[in-house]
Amino acid sequence: MLMTNLNVVGKRVLRQDAYEKVVGGKGFPVNFSLPGMLHGKMLRSPYPHARILRIDTSRAEQLPGVKAVMTPKDVPQIPFNPIFFMPAGSMGIHRDMLILSDTVRFAGQPVAAVAATTVAIAEQALQLIDVEYEELLAVFDPEEAMKEGAPEIHVGVKNNIRDTPSFSAGDVEAGFKDADYIFEGTYETQRVHTCYMEPRVCVSDTDSNGHITIYSSIGHLFGLRERMAYVLGLPVSKVTAVQAPYVGGSFGSKIDFAYIEALSALLSAKTRKPVRFEHTRYEDFICNARHPMKVHLKTGIKKDGTFTARYASTLCDTSAYSTHGPEVILVHAYFGLMLGYRSPHMKWEGTVVFTNNMPGGAFRGYGAPQAAFAVESQIDEICDKLGFDPIEFRLKNTPRQGDPHPFNPEWKLNSYALDECLNKGAERMGWSQRAKTGSASGAKKRGIGMAAHPLWVSGCVGFPDIYEHSGAIIRLNVDGTAYLSSATMDIGSGQNTTLCQIAAEELGLAFDSVRMAPGNTDNLPFDAPTHASRVTYSSGNAVKVAAADAKKNLLEVAATVMEANVADLEVRDGMITVKGSPAQAMSVADVVKRAESPFMVIGAQGPAPTTLKEKGTIMGISSVAPPANASPAVAEFVEVEVDTETGQVKVLRAVYAHDLGRVVNPAAAEGQVEGGLQQGIGFALMEKMLFDPETGACLTSDFLDYKMPTAVEMPSKIECIFIESNEPTGPFGAKSLAEACLIVPAPAIANAIYNAIGVRIRSLPITPEKILAALGKL
Amino acid sequence: MKQLISLEVNGDTHEIAVEADATLLSVLRDNLGLIGAKRGCDSGGCGCCTVHVDGKAVYSCMMYALSAQGQEIVTIEGLGTEGKLDPVQDTFVKEGAVQCGYCTCGMIMTAKQLLHDDPHPDEHAIRHGIAGNLCRCTGYHKIVEAIKTAADN
Ligand code: FES
Ligand code: FES
Repeated sequence: MLMTNLNVVGKRVLRQDAYEKVVGGKGFPVNFSLPGMLHGKMLRSPYPHARILRIDTSRAEQLPGVKAVMTPKDVPQIPFNPIFFMPAGSMGIHRDMLILSDTVRFAGQPVAAVAATTVAIAEQALQLIDVEYEELLAVFDPEEAMKEGAPEIHVGVKNNIRDTPSFSAGDVEAGFKDADYIFEGTYETQRVHTCYMEPRVCVSDTDSNGHITIYSSIGHLFGLRERMAYVLGLPVSKVTAVQAPYVGGSFGSKIDFAYIEALSALLSAKTRKPVRFEHTRYEDFICNARHPMKVHLKTGIKKDGTFTARYASTLCDTSAYSTHGPEVILVHAYFGLMLGYRSPHMKWEGTVVFTNNMPGGAFRGYGAPQAAFAVESQIDEICDKLGFDPIEFRLKNTPRQGDPHPFNPEWKLNSYALDECLNKGAERMGWSQRAKTGSASGAKKRGIGMAAHPLWVSGCVGFPDIYEHSGAIIRLNVDGTAYLSSATMDIGSGQNTTLCQIAAEELGLAFDSVRMAPGNTDNLPFDAPTHASRVTYSSGNAVKVAAADAKKNLLEVAATVMEANVADLEVRDGMITVKGSPAQAMSVADVVKRAESPFMVIGAQGPAPTTLKEKGTIMGISSVAPPANASPAVAEFVEVEVDTETGQVKVLRAVYAHDLGRVVNPAAAEGQVEGGLQQGIGFALMEKMLFDPETGACLTSDFLDYKMPTAVEMPSKIECIFIESNEPTGPFGAKSLAEACLIVPAPAIANAIYNAIGVRIRSLPITPEKILAALGKL
Repeated sequence: MKQLISLEVNGDTHEIAVEADATLLSVLRDNLGLIGAKRGCDSGGCGCCTVHVDGKAVYSCMMYALSAQGQEIVTIEGLGTEGKLDPVQDTFVKEGAVQCGYCTCGMIMTAKQLLHDDPHPDEHAIRHGIAGNLCRCTGYHKIVEAIKTAADN
């Protein structure tokens, strides 16, 4: 049972940082500057695959205002992988990037960098650097890249195949023999960009001891410190990463190291001045993006609607470097493709391929949107063909509350309410009144579709080597307020507010009495990145433990000065009272004052604190690794209108049902759903990065060419149904939300389009051209 | 070659030397320290840099500072302060229309213009009115609600 007598958790409190953001938002990293700061710029290769034969920087160096120029020979040649959620030296990742390399593997890869007194001079200096390239043959299509004779992108990687992970359970061939029906299809997804609005930016500053301090828009403070130290060949204690109060979006992208952080540090070390880099939008676009995948899915079904066998294969373009490819494909396979639906026999085979495309990165959902598009589209095909009700069909084949987790039998689905998500969502959408596929008349046809995502664990996934511990510090002030410090970065989701709610609830303070106090890697405990729907659960747990620790220390002092037993005391709304005798009360502020100034007598109440431990600042601290993040369950229903004359699709309404355990802040939770839908509609209908087929140059490098949904393309009705199951391992029963909001929209929309016009599109985005072609109108 | 210009921003006059090709956005941010207007794309595609010039919402990244001379420029800093918010700023906070907040200042400047031109816009007019401002966090839902509420008040 969820606790019901909560004061702060579960309330729609206003975000603390919103006041500052509506008047200017001075805390964004992009506003950070230091006196005497230089400006850095990178020279980028026009070729997608080339060897650098010679670089002449002499003319650039002579330009007045230029303070340093760097080429590959000036930077440490330590191969690295930019992913922050695993240790830099982890066995599980491939390290094949260099800060500056004499081999170029994608168009736009940096080949040199400049620091100058102004941005304009730095840009001018780039024009004066002469680079002689030896062009190499490039390949952009992963299937071409695997063929014999394709250009070799990394020495010794045969056929450009980086990895071929697989798994199987049972005997899939026997399972297909048992099947009454077999369904087979190929589903393709495209390269899309996170489009965080604040550009990547950083300022590095080096002191006379060579200690580097970096201010940045990154989504993982400790990852930044660790990766900086690693690529520069320094101990981690030589790097300090400073936390910004908030960052203008990440959606996964900013949990990676980019080139600018290392280059700013190196240029700062060389010039002994702070050096700032800010990406242009073009540079942000080619920094990292979602991996395009091609999924082949084959499913054996019995007449009773149960699965006999599920086979899938995935081709993943990991781009010019390994980065996330080998990881993202595993999350995609386990939590996206296979484990959400039961089958006695399963098999999956993955192929991760190098191409000369821009790097792949993390993007909300991490491989699952690509998987859900395949799985949920095919289930719709199965139900349509065999006449099953899509909701009953899903319930028949998905896990139930109390089941062991299919990924790790040591975990249990303690809280799991997919049935409620499906049933309540269906009822709200009016699912039972859904028209028969293709029965709509007129040129504009409406349809309803749905998709579920039965199982999702991203943060706390239990894969080896993945950072998952969190820490927090709570300090009580003499005015009865508390500061909370946590190394998680608030990239926009409002976690600083929800974490303060958790702290306030545990401490017995009013929400307004807890404030997030930013810190840096010198004075904060470690926390994993802001990614993978993990912050409320993992960091929330750490905050709760730290707050409980602070409260225990508070009550020990209170017991002395109030001459009561600790066990008899309670704190509520900033007042400490003795249970059963409310007249015996003291404010938190007064107790903290007594602890901070134990010798103060004037106006003081009760005996002075005595032991050493009772005297001094009242604090709480934690560093904990929570157990596996429990799986949420999700279903989304959408209604679309397809204009069969123009091929345009409009999403009219969305009903999103999600079992997220305790809702800590309903407004913040709704915001995740609404924003996830915007990204989902973009993924489903509009967004696709395009590249010149000859040169590999990005053609969608600004918002005029890369089209994401505006307010006009969004439905006016977005309804959230939050199912509050109680997750015993989560703070106040909470589990996770963020990523699932973007996993389900694309298949739900594709299925709604099918319901409207009877046409199945198996590649994203579903553009007007594809619809008109499928209707035979092109 | 720099030129000395005078800009009228939020009622204050600033004399500054700028390059001929300096955008209004860069002068506001880099010379005047008015960081409310944000650089999201620098190419007229996102609206994060929206300010008012002579009563019209413009992308400040698409206007030369030189051509803003003699005109009345209002930035988010000219609307309200933390203790005394403009009603639109206030509803953005209260309706939860702010997430990462990077689009927020530009969005509010556009919303102000919209409400000035049409004090009681319907939802269709609001959505079209802010279509030149991108937001990647909110799905625009609470932004539209906030503008409706501001109009009702
Ligand atoms: S920065 Fe001006 S429109 Fe994007
Ligand atoms: S709130 Fe983040 S871009 Fe709008």
